[in-house]
Amino acid sequence: MNIQDYILSGIIESYVLGIASPEDRAEFESVCASHPEVRKARDEFEATLEAYFMNHPGTIKPASELRDKIFAEINRTADDSPKRETIIAPIYPLQPVKRGWWRFVAAAAIILLLGSTVLNYYFFTQYKEYSIKYQELSSSQIQMASANQALQTKLQDYESAMNLMKNPAMAIIKMNSVPSSPSPNSLATVYWDTRNKDVYLLANNLPATVTDKQYQLWAIVDGKPVDAGLVEIKEGLSFIKMKNIQRAQAFAITLEKKGGSDAPTPAAMYVLGKVTG
Amino acid sequence: MAVQDLHSERELVLLLKEKNNKAFGYLYDNYSAALFGIIHQIIDDNELASDILQEVFINIWRRIETYDPSKGRLFTWMLNIARNASIDTLRSKNYQNSKKNQELPDDVNNIGSGTPIIQANIDNIGLRKILERLKPEHRILIELAYFKGYTHEEISKIESIPLGTVKTRIRNALLQLKEYLQ
Repeated sequence: MNIQDYILSGIIESYVLGIASPEDRAEFESVCASHPEVRKARDEFEATLEAYFMNHPGTIKPASELRDKIFAEINRTADDSPKRETIIAPIYPLQPVKRGWWRFVAAAAIILLLGSTVLNYYFFTQYKEYSIKYQELSSSQIQMASANQALQTKLQDYESAMNLMKNPAMAIIKMNSVPSSPSPNSLATVYWDTRNKDVYLLANNLPATVTDKQYQLWAIVDGKPVDAGLVEIKEGLSFIKMKNIQRAQAFAITLEKKGGSDAPTPAAMYVLGKVTG
Repeated sequence: MAVQDLHSERELVLLLKEKNNKAFGYLYDNYSAALFGIIHQIIDDNELASDILQEVFINIWRRIETYDPSKGRLFTWMLNIARNASIDTLRSKNYQNSKKNQELPDDVNNIGSGTPIIQANIDNIGLRKILERLKPEHRILIELAYFKGYTHEEISKIESIPLGTVKTRIRNALLQLKEYLQ
C-alpha cells in the first residue's frame, strides 16, 4: 500500500468524522499504529477540525442553566457511582440486617415462648407442690385444731372435776366391789354436793360394757333403791353428772339393760358404798 | 498542534478520569458551545438539542475511562459521541413522528431530490457553512453520510447511484471539505 495515497484517500476524514465503515475503521486504526506518518496526518486533520468547530460554534448557544443541570446530574451519579461500590457493601449487610431483624424478632419470640413454656412448667410444678403442701398443712392444721379442741374439752373436764374436788361441801362416797360383783376389782366414787344435792359419778374402775348393757346408779333411800341415772362412761378421768338426790344412805351400781331398769338386778351389782356421817 | 495543548489535554483527561469536577467544568465551558453546534446541525430543535447535549456530557463524564488517546483527540471522541447521540435521536420513532407531523411533504421530497434540507436557522453553523460551498452532488452525500448517519450502501440505494460512485464522491467531498476547513 502506498502510504501517501492512503493518506489522501479520504479515509482520515471519514474516520475522524465517524462516517467510515467498521471495516475501514479497523484497517485505519491498525495502519495508524504501524505508520506514524498516517497518525501524524490524522492528528493534523483532527486539530484542524477541532479548531474549525471551536471557532464556528454556531449562533445558538446552550442555555446557561444547562451547565447546572448537567453538574447536578453528574454529582448525583457521582454520588451514586463511587457509592455503588461502597453503598452496595453497606446495602448488602443492610439486607441481611433487615431480614435479620425479622429473624431476630422471630428468634426472640421463639426464645420467649420456650422461656415462657419452661417457666410455666416450673411454676405449675411449684404450684402443684405448694398446693399439696398447703393441703397437708391445712389438714394438719385441722387435726391440730380438733386435737386442740379435744384438749380444751379435756381441760374443761379436768377443771370441772378439779372444781368438784375442791368444793368443801362435797361428800365423797367410795364404792367398792361387792363380794358378789362380776368384776371383783371394780371401783367407783360418788361426789355428792351436800348443799344442792347434785350427784357426780367417777368411774374409777368399771369393766367395759357390751353394747346392749349399761351401768345404772342407784341411791339407797331408807332401804329402797332409787334410780340415780344411767352411767355414760366417757374416756379419761371424768365426772358424770347424775340425778339430783335429796336423801340417801348408800349408792350402788348395777349393770342393766340399755336404757336402764325400774328396779336394780341384785345379781348384777358391781359396787356399793355407804354414805358416812 | 502545540506541545502545550497536548500536555494540557493529557492532564485534562487524567483529571476527568479521576472524576474531577473542576476539570469537567473546564471541559464544559470550553467545548459545550462547539458540541451544541454539532448537535444542532443534526437536530433542528433547540430543546431536543439541549437534552442531547446534557446526555452527551453525562456520557463523557461516565465513559471517560473508555477514551483511548492513541485513537484520536479528546475532541474527536466527544464529536463522535455528540454526532452519534444526535443521529440516534434523529432516528428515534418519537422524533420521526413529530417531524412527519410538522413537515411531512417537503421533507420526503427533499431527501431524494438533492435540494438542500437545511433549515434557515442552522444554515450558518459549523460544517453547514462549508457544505454550502461544495458541489450539490457532493453536498447531498455529506448530508446523508454525516448529518443523517447513513452508510455508503444506504446512500447508494437512496440516491440510486452505484456504491463505487458514492465512495468516490464522498472521498472527493471530504478532501474538498478539508481544504475549506483550513
